[in-house]
Amino acid sequence: MENLIEEEIKKEIKENKILIYGKGSKMMPMCGFTKETIEFFDRYGYPFELIDVLRNMEKRETLSKMTNWPTLPKVFIDGEFYGDTDILDEMATKGEIEPLLKKAFAPAE
Amino acid sequence: MIAEDVFVAYIRKAMPDSEVSLVDKTGMMDHFRVRIVSEAFAGKNLLDRHRLVQQSLDEPMKDGRIHALEIKAHTPEEFATL
Repeated sequence: MENLIEEEIKKEIKENKILIYGKGSKMMPMCGFTKETIEFFDRYGYPFELIDVLRNMEKRETLSKMTNWPTLPKVFIDGEFYGDTDILDEMATKGEIEPLLKKAFAPAE
Repeated sequence: MIAEDVFVAYIRKAMPDSEVSLVDKTGMMDHFRVRIVSEAFAGKNLLDRHRLVQQSLDEPMKDGRIHALEIKAHTPEEFATL
């Protein structure tokens, strides 16, 4: 039986084109990397969701298990996992982010 | 806080051929930028390269000796063209 937290996470991933699991809120990021990720997506101007899991250890462990990625923040774009700004910055230098976001927000043909 | 040679030893255990260069970002020896050049990255995408590095440093990351890590991972061929 898939546990409830996994189901909750899968629902959140499906409902948000750009989803960041991080520490703190958009107004009050509690960690430099979460703040960096917010600033990263601010530059592109697409709407994104930040879910604060700072104090939710069980959800953090489930997320780490699901993605085989130990750290926060964790970024999902269009249902796909992309790690954090380490990965996104390198993709941005290769011009891979813009088309990816355009496709994610393109109206379903 | 982790010493450079201990850090490199962890990486070399997983990737014996790796060339490792480490930058201590804050002077506290726990926020690092590391560049690793190894054949182990051949054929791996960005995410899997980072996963490989994180797995090799799993212990010091779990016990907090490494707080934050910025990873640059290349194969020798890629590194030669940088």
